[in-house]
Amino acid sequence: MADTLILAGLLAPWAVAAACAAALRHRQRLAARVTAAGSVVSLGAAMWLWANALGGRAATAGPGALFRVDGLSALVGVCVAAVAGLAMLPWPGTGQGDADPGRTRFFRIFASLFTLSMLVAVTINNVALMWVAIEATTIVSAVLIPLHRSKASVEASWKYILIGSVGIALAFAGTVLAYFDFVSLLGRRHDALNWTLLMEVAPALHADVLRLAFVFLLVGYGTKAGLAPMHTWLPDAHSEAPAPLSAMMSGVLLAVAQYAIIRWKAVVDAASGPAFTNQVLMALGLVSIAVGALSLVRQRSYKRLLAYSSVEHSGLICLGLTFGPAGVFASLLHLVNHAVAKSMSFLLAGRILARYRSADVGAVTGLVRTMPVTGPLFATGIIALMGLPPFGMFVSEFLLFRAGFAAGQIAATSAAMLLAGIGFIGLAGHLARMLHGARPDGVAAGEREWWPLAPLAVSLVVMVALGLFLPSGIAQLLGQVAEAFTP
Amino acid sequence: MFDMAGIVVEVAQALLALALAPALVGFIRWMKARLQNRRGAPIWQPYAELRKLFRKDMVVSRHASWIFRVAPYVILGSTIVVSLLVPVLVTPLPFNAVADLFAVVYLLLLGTVFLALAGLDPGSAFGGMGSSREMTVAAISEPAIALAILSLALAAGSTNLGEIAARTIARPSSALSPGHILAFVALFIVMLAETGRLPVDNPATHLELTMIHEAMILEYSGPYLAMVEWASWLKLFVFLTLAGNLFVPWGLATSLTPAALAIAFAATVAKLVVLAAAVAVLETRVAKLRLFRVPELLAVSFVLGLLAVASSFSLR
Amino acid sequence: MEGLFSQVAALGSSGVLLCGLILLWRRGVGAYITAFTWQSAVLAALTAAVGYFGADRQLYVVAVLLFLIKAVAIPRLLRRVAQRFTAGREPAAYVNTGTSLVVSGLLVLLAYAAARPLEAISDMPTRAGMPLAMGLLFVSLFVIISRRMAITQVIGFLMLENAIALLAVLATYGVPLIVEVGVFLDVLMGFLVMQIFLYDIHDTFSTTDVDVLKRLKH
Repeated sequence: MADTLILAGLLAPWAVAAACAAALRHRQRLAARVTAAGSVVSLGAAMWLWANALGGRAATAGPGALFRVDGLSALVGVCVAAVAGLAMLPWPGTGQGDADPGRTRFFRIFASLFTLSMLVAVTINNVALMWVAIEATTIVSAVLIPLHRSKASVEASWKYILIGSVGIALAFAGTVLAYFDFVSLLGRRHDALNWTLLMEVAPALHADVLRLAFVFLLVGYGTKAGLAPMHTWLPDAHSEAPAPLSAMMSGVLLAVAQYAIIRWKAVVDAASGPAFTNQVLMALGLVSIAVGALSLVRQRSYKRLLAYSSVEHSGLICLGLTFGPAGVFASLLHLVNHAVAKSMSFLLAGRILARYRSADVGAVTGLVRTMPVTGPLFATGIIALMGLPPFGMFVSEFLLFRAGFAAGQIAATSAAMLLAGIGFIGLAGHLARMLHGARPDGVAAGEREWWPLAPLAVSLVVMVALGLFLPSGIAQLLGQVAEAFTP
Repeated sequence: MFDMAGIVVEVAQALLALALAPALVGFIRWMKARLQNRRGAPIWQPYAELRKLFRKDMVVSRHASWIFRVAPYVILGSTIVVSLLVPVLVTPLPFNAVADLFAVVYLLLLGTVFLALAGLDPGSAFGGMGSSREMTVAAISEPAIALAILSLALAAGSTNLGEIAARTIARPSSALSPGHILAFVALFIVMLAETGRLPVDNPATHLELTMIHEAMILEYSGPYLAMVEWASWLKLFVFLTLAGNLFVPWGLATSLTPAALAIAFAATVAKLVVLAAAVAVLETRVAKLRLFRVPELLAVSFVLGLLAVASSFSLR
Repeated sequence: MEGLFSQVAALGSSGVLLCGLILLWRRGVGAYITAFTWQSAVLAALTAAVGYFGADRQLYVVAVLLFLIKAVAIPRLLRRVAQRFTAGREPAAYVNTGTSLVVSGLLVLLAYAAARPLEAISDMPTRAGMPLAMGLLFVSLFVIISRRMAITQVIGFLMLENAIALLAVLATYGVPLIVEVGVFLDVLMGFLVMQIFLYDIHDTFSTTDVDVLKRLKH
């Protein structure tokens, strides 16, 4: 009973927020407050579920354990709730800065639905319904990308919906194949597609069918996770979308797709051993890191810079999954760190775009002097993404590489380190150019209203905290999840 | 080794094919005319054409070589040999040992090659154009027809015509299997290309620039023209008989009793009438494809053949 | 009875695949929409047949939904879009017709090879059609990659969904009903959003040739 209430507390606020924004057509301030309150409730529920999972228990709710929140679900759920809460605050680019209430309302409705579908995806026990939720995220976020109609945003949204839908359809094909394997063994049962049951019977399932299914699943969910070579939609979509949406997509939508990959990897590994999935994940991971890092060097737009950085980090996370329990631990830590750092960077990029009115790296100079609060915060975000101490990503990357060497994957890990280094150089070069130099004409200087940035201080604190020491709550949960998901 | 009755039946079959081929073409022309709201020439009109041509004198170009004179004999001869191998009435045939599907197809190709050479021989521009077009179509339809045959052979376990027919009679449900149906459609499309029917080539055209088959025989006259025309009608007969009797083999006589032969005759005529009607309806409905679109049509046939092979292979 | 069931399943799957191949052969959006309509109709009929032979009533509901959504509603919307936007003929695709057909034939062979483990472990009478469903999957992917008109890409995506639905019906007599309903909703929503974007592309670029969508490069 308590579980049901908590789960309702996690999911319902977003439905309420969407409904409020839709109904209260002319009172968007009220809707904004409802959304903010709801996001706090949701985040609280997510934290409770985290603590619950720490105790080794999985919260279940719904008929036949329709919803089941274990450690991994709680982890990703907290990330989603936190980033969504941050993104729904009034940031420029969603009509709130330029007082366009229609646009604001539209954004609020669909962004709430977006968050709701992501949370459903990570808490539902049924594989196929998780698929339905992830497809819903594609559709809902696609509607939001062309919030500001332009040739570039229309192109980006078309690529996103087409490639995203095709990828998701392939993931469904993989789901059908896995279901087929189950059915041929145990007949048709109404709960056949529950994770719990799949994990139980996995050792008895046919290895070659599951391997074929995994290929489809990886291509499908990998498209959503931004793995190369299916990543072509990502730079366009993340750079053309309004900044808060990009923050959510880059930060947590990728995490939700990775969640699906991790779950399926566990099932397939239980059936056929980790060798095959490790090979495929390593190949895709390395290609993604390469594409992301090498593209970083020649970027002209700082939003695309952040997008390609997402591709690189997504590849790193996938690579880490192949390094055994220590690697899974590092990947999950990296996932959390990336969500925090990337969301903060994108939200700040939105503010920079609103001030400088150009997405070009060359056009943004003298950031430190022009926006004395946003500038340095943005710099810390980029430095965190580069993997420098004292931020969390340094720790997670270090742990990842160490796990790689410990697992004996010398070549792959060295290649990843080299490519990450190239990415580092790219980001550093662009950041330096943006921070210093003269302020361009026509751009107002100074920031009088910097208190909207206050919530980002929380992000900053989290990043530093994760970099200096790993709170035991986090470490323990990650350890539990890593152990549970590696055979 | 060969019993007399068998040989008599074989020869009778070939003669029957030779005799019925003009009627078949006459029927198709008559049906097209009726579909186009004309009265049309009677069905035995082609016989009258043959009689007229055999009585006329021949005019042969000065530039023609021995190929020009030999070609009609080779073409008609190879087609008659094919009609000896195809199960028109009886299966298995006394000549069954050599009644191989590949042999049939490549004997027909022999005729095509000689016809193309004969088109080139007199040195006329239209003849050369017809020959080059014919060779293009033949080259692209070869893989398609090979695949269609291969799928039938895979389903039956042998490329022998008698075997294929016997296998299908033994398992009636295989007639509806996807491999079978796809192979039929692929073969039908290739047949349209090989026998020069619409939408690949218009047999009734008078415009030289649209001709493929007609252009090659423009220089022929008199008895040679009669032989070449008869050979092309016989080729159509053979293809339709193959399509009918390989894919729907019920009615073929398996013994040499008069009753069985009568039934076989009736069944074969029925199948030919249905297929000829299908050809006539198709020819009335579609327009001729432009030449560069013909490879696309044959690519469709090729893919259908590929699907048929894959399906027969997996359902073995 | 089982022989007849297998034959019907194999015939139906071949029909569905052949409708997909028509997309590679014909040119002209009207022909594509007709091919898709027929494909969905055959798929709905096949689903109903599997429901009859396999004694599963839920499949009747699925068949009716499939028919209504994919053979009636979506083609109607597609024709409306096509009428507004296209001059009828597709601009030359990235891969020409003959090559496309040969490539699709090879893709079907690849599907047969890939589906070998599936056929090996299944004892359902419908297993002969599974390679054809996978073949249609690959062919639809090829259509999406190699065509230039945005609306053709949408039709390719809808065919991809048909292929997966066919695979589900043949392999496991369909997925649980609640999942089917979810899938239908998703496909319908996805299609509606794509339709909105088609209007957007046309408004912004005055054409729906995706070749013009190359502003965003690297």
